Amino acid sequence: MTVFMKREVARRVFAKELMDSTYAMRDEGEKSPVYILTPLGLKCNRVFIIGALTEKTDVGEDSSIYRIRITDQTGSFVGYIGRFQPEAYDAIAEIDVLNLVAVTAKVRLFEGETRKFVSLRPESISIADAESRDYWVVETAKATIQRIREMERGEGENVKLAREIYGTDVEEYRKAVKEALLRLKEEYTVEEEEEIVEEEEIEEEGDIDFDIEEEEIDLTELLED
Amino acid sequence: MDKVESLANEIYEKYKDYGVDRKEIVEKLKKLLLEFKVPESEAIRTMNNYIIREYKVPREELKEQFTKIGDIKEAGKWVSVKAKVVQLWESGSPSIAQTGLIGDETGVIRFLIWAKANKQPVVEGKSYIFRNVVVDDYGNVLRLNVTRISEIEELKEDIAVKPIEDLREDTEVVGALVAIQQNSGLIQRCGEEGCNRVIKSGKCPVHGKTKWYDDLRIKGVLDDGERTYEVIINEEGVKELTGIDIEKAKKMAEENYDRGAVLEELKKLLLGKYLKVVGSLTPRYLVAKQVEFYRPDIKNEINELLAELEEG
Repeated sequence: MTVFMKREVARRVFAKELMDSTYAMRDEGEKSPVYILTPLGLKCNRVFIIGALTEKTDVGEDSSIYRIRITDQTGSFVGYIGRFQPEAYDAIAEIDVLNLVAVTAKVRLFEGETRKFVSLRPESISIADAESRDYWVVETAKATIQRIREMERGEGENVKLAREIYGTDVEEYRKAVKEALLRLKEEYTVEEEEEIVEEEEIEEEGDIDFDIEEEEIDLTELLED
Repeated sequence: MDKVESLANEIYEKYKDYGVDRKEIVEKLKKLLLEFKVPESEAIRTMNNYIIREYKVPREELKEQFTKIGDIKEAGKWVSVKAKVVQLWESGSPSIAQTGLIGDETGVIRFLIWAKANKQPVVEGKSYIFRNVVVDDYGNVLRLNVTRISEIEELKEDIAVKPIEDLREDTEVVGALVAIQQNSGLIQRCGEEGCNRVIKSGKCPVHGKTKWYDDLRIKGVLDDGERTYEVIINEEGVKELTGIDIEKAKKMAEENYDRGAVLEELKKLLLGKYLKVVGSLTPRYLVAKQVEFYRPDIKNEINELLAELEEG
């Protein structure tokens, strides 16, 4: 029997749930990777997301690090791409902002002076189409609903731990999922009124919260594997 | 449901045909677990022995009777099997400790060990007796469930497993192509009779410098958010998805003076895309026989999910 390395699964999680996370953990055993525990009890080391690339800033002193923001129906992910992720680095150079992108990324917990937050370290990034994005929302909604259910049943170590750490209010996430789905639904129900929908979407984008203050960060930490 | 109740249910289900009394089981379990504080596994053993003696469960039932995996055809049955752990998959849920495939010489079946069963983990490639496991039906797939009253015993002997390639049934997987490996695209294979190995910098790992031929394929990772599959898509599949066949690929390589140009183009076209792959699942690879971009009925899916949210 061939023995091979277990690859970490790329979990489906909305920005809100992932970016609300502030807790990192390891399994028993020295070689365990670091996982982020989300407020709904998902333990994840890698994610797959599809969203709009809303920011791309060169933040490295020698142009070697891009800071990117990817926005989904519930909020925004923040990620850093350096030369240590050559595939993603080469790809991002050719992608302009305000494109839909598909990203496979490792998740990391950044511990700043005053607070902790999650950032992504993309392994690959590519242009995505609207249909794939729509299915991503559906899949992610499905996975989130399942986690909400598990949290409500209150069984399982991770669920219990998450509730202890975050005091999770599942209604908050139920609402976020519902809003994400309704936003997507508009697109499919009022195709004949496409122009109107487009206008609404633009307005909504203006409403998205961009007020997260960035701290002074020692970026060298990002480059450690 | 508390622990005693659910445990009693499991035991009752197993022996109900022999006229056991559920209330009696509950009382005895309460005594063992709550009053005497014996470990759960001991309580189960004690109950099993008691019922077998008191209710005269026939000897032949007691004698280890192993079901062949190929004979498992319906849900709801309790069976014991001797099988080898063929694959372990990543558990998608905290309530599942381990999941994967086990098999014997007659076939393979999915199995799961519930976290609540509290069992020592099984190891890929090792053989075990799975005693008192229950068959269930999950999305038309039969599975063996290891619960608290099940037992797992490691075997010294090695159980031969029917080669998965022989199983006619194909697996269908929908997932995102999250990685395309370096040895994809326009590759070279060793031309020695029957070798076909991928060669790097003109050398076959076995035959050294050799004649070679071109091939087009993708080796990548398909990920459905619950588990990953190492997928292999051959030239036909690549052409189906991208319109690029070997001839086109060669031309691209020539025009760019770089075989790697093909891989770059495939990455641009396919990374992050949802694919539906039908193929055979070997212990290591999902070998695609049919592949297409996945295009579900989004509207329908949205409505179903919204309805589910309304239910609360």
